[in-house]
Amino acid sequence: MDFELSPVEKDLREAVKGFARRELAAVAEKMDREEYFPSEVFRQAGSLGFLGASLPEENGGSGLGYLAQAVVLEELARVSPAFALTVGAHSNLCADNLARNGTPEQRKRYVAPLASGEKIGALGLTEPESGSDALSLRTKAEKRGNHYVLNGSKLFITNGPVADILLVYAKTDPARGSRGISAFIVEKEYAGFSVSRKLDKMGMRGSPTGELSLENVEVPAENLVGKENEGAKVVMSGLNVERAVLSAIPVGITEECLSLSLDYARQRRQFGAPIGSFQLIQEKLANMYAQALSSRLLLYHALDSVTRDKRRNRDASTALTYVSEASTRVALDAIQIFGGNGYMRDYPVERLMRDAKLLEIGAGTSEIRRLVVARELLGSLE
Amino acid sequence: MDVLVCVKQVPDPETKLRVAPSGKALDTDGVKFTINNTYDEAMVEEALRMKEEFGFTSVRALSVGPARAEEALRATLAMGADEAVLVETPPGMELDPLFTARLLAAAAADIPHDLVLVGRHAQDDEAGAVGSALGEYLGLPSYSFVTELTPVAASHQLKMRRYLEGGEEVFSGPFPAVLSILKGAKDPRTPTLPNILKARKKPLKKIPVKDLEAKVSVLKGGFQPTSAVTSFTLPPPRSGAKMLEFQTPEEAATKLLKVLKEEAKVL
Repeated sequence: MDFELSPVEKDLREAVKGFARRELAAVAEKMDREEYFPSEVFRQAGSLGFLGASLPEENGGSGLGYLAQAVVLEELARVSPAFALTVGAHSNLCADNLARNGTPEQRKRYVAPLASGEKIGALGLTEPESGSDALSLRTKAEKRGNHYVLNGSKLFITNGPVADILLVYAKTDPARGSRGISAFIVEKEYAGFSVSRKLDKMGMRGSPTGELSLENVEVPAENLVGKENEGAKVVMSGLNVERAVLSAIPVGITEECLSLSLDYARQRRQFGAPIGSFQLIQEKLANMYAQALSSRLLLYHALDSVTRDKRRNRDASTALTYVSEASTRVALDAIQIFGGNGYMRDYPVERLMRDAKLLEIGAGTSEIRRLVVARELLGSLE
Repeated sequence: MDVLVCVKQVPDPETKLRVAPSGKALDTDGVKFTINNTYDEAMVEEALRMKEEFGFTSVRALSVGPARAEEALRATLAMGADEAVLVETPPGMELDPLFTARLLAAAAADIPHDLVLVGRHAQDDEAGAVGSALGEYLGLPSYSFVTELTPVAASHQLKMRRYLEGGEEVFSGPFPAVLSILKGAKDPRTPTLPNILKARKKPLKKIPVKDLEAKVSVLKGGFQPTSAVTSFTLPPPRSGAKMLEFQTPEEAATKLLKVLKEEAKVL
């Protein structure tokens, strides 16, 4: 088995690392404190090709695998998990989904400006009344002539307040339940589309999240993604890829917390010795490393799994469940190692902890992901 | 105009360094090497800026080092250099700045160059000697610590700028020439992902160091290091900081003065 990144992926990691430590680090604190979205840094990431690593070359991407996208997210997350989340929602949930399921015309028109960062993408699935029970969504799409007319609202939409292009799920045949869902491309300029509010979050504060309102939004029929009433397939395969790729964000948080804790344990002295010489700190560090390593292996395994079979649920769900919970634990341990300093906003670990919690909830809660895993393992029970 | 940039791969500044059992070098086992010397990145940026601004024909990269130094050259290609040459040394081969300069000069003889650029010094040995020596071996003038340069092709003159402490000097001199470059106004560019992919396909020629032996042997100093390291030690570990407790600024100043005079003995 080869756990080495390819030379290109290694170079990509170094390039993103340099970019993140130079450009993103300068705004990471401001993003958190002021809910500031650094649109200039986002555009720069686009012009460097970091947003389109896994998108097809003919649509302005670099045609690499999901591992390349994960490398980008991990290095961004080490500096700003919020920025990584925005990039994940943009590049994976929206652009990659469109690249996989869109028609050649849709890909040409929408994927290229997403790859370059000229436009910002988002995905609209969750609604006020449908979270874990995602397929019970109520947003309706009625066909009228050459248009579909969309009505409903979407909640907790990452990038919602800043997105130009949104992939929105709606019911085209509500009577058929999950077999009546379709996916649509909605542009923010369409009449009737609006951001009803920007949400105030515990963490990931530099990644704008919103509630979206769709009131008689006329979407051209050619913006239907995939076949009518077959949106559930798009949702489910998209969720597996999303869970695998987004696992890179907690992996980045965990690595950064471990690295900051090691530095602190070497430098901070108490009782005349570095605190790293104390066994209770050493135990924490060893456990953090074990979790960092397991997280990385689960991430790589899940990326390989969804690359082979996008309908296989268990590996991506297991990975994101484990790595997200591990990142919260590791971030809490980092705060503990930093002691009083860890609880202060002057140090980044408390921000990383608040950011870490999100991925136990987003992309399906940990509870739902466990159900998905167990159901697939059990098969049909009679 | 053709520019040749000489780069060196150095240990990652975050890696833990140990002295080799010989006591004369770093133990490179398990040491992570960075893609490139930071000062070289600044120098490559200046070369690429000139290529874009003045429409130079090419920027080629050259390095002397073991096989892993290919990564430093690939990184330079990813920034935008056109071609690269690696003078490949066998594992354990000893180099010093002057021998390195002779090897670079021998390799450079077969690579078109109007300007040869080096970083001000390498992050690892900080010798800063290769640039001047390279000028000597190539029979070219060398200019050091240049922050910005503008070639005037018609007169074969370079207009150069360098910062001095508290000031700036503008001077000129003829080219072809060798220049050591100090970080200029612009930060080194981050390679774009498409350029990283292209860099893997750009030409990179490897020359076994033995192939240069005949050419280097006729240069003063010959095919061997000029100097030898006799011992190598890491800096002593830093002792912990001493915190002074005080109520008033006056008390702080009095206590600090006492420590500086009596304990640190720096006053």
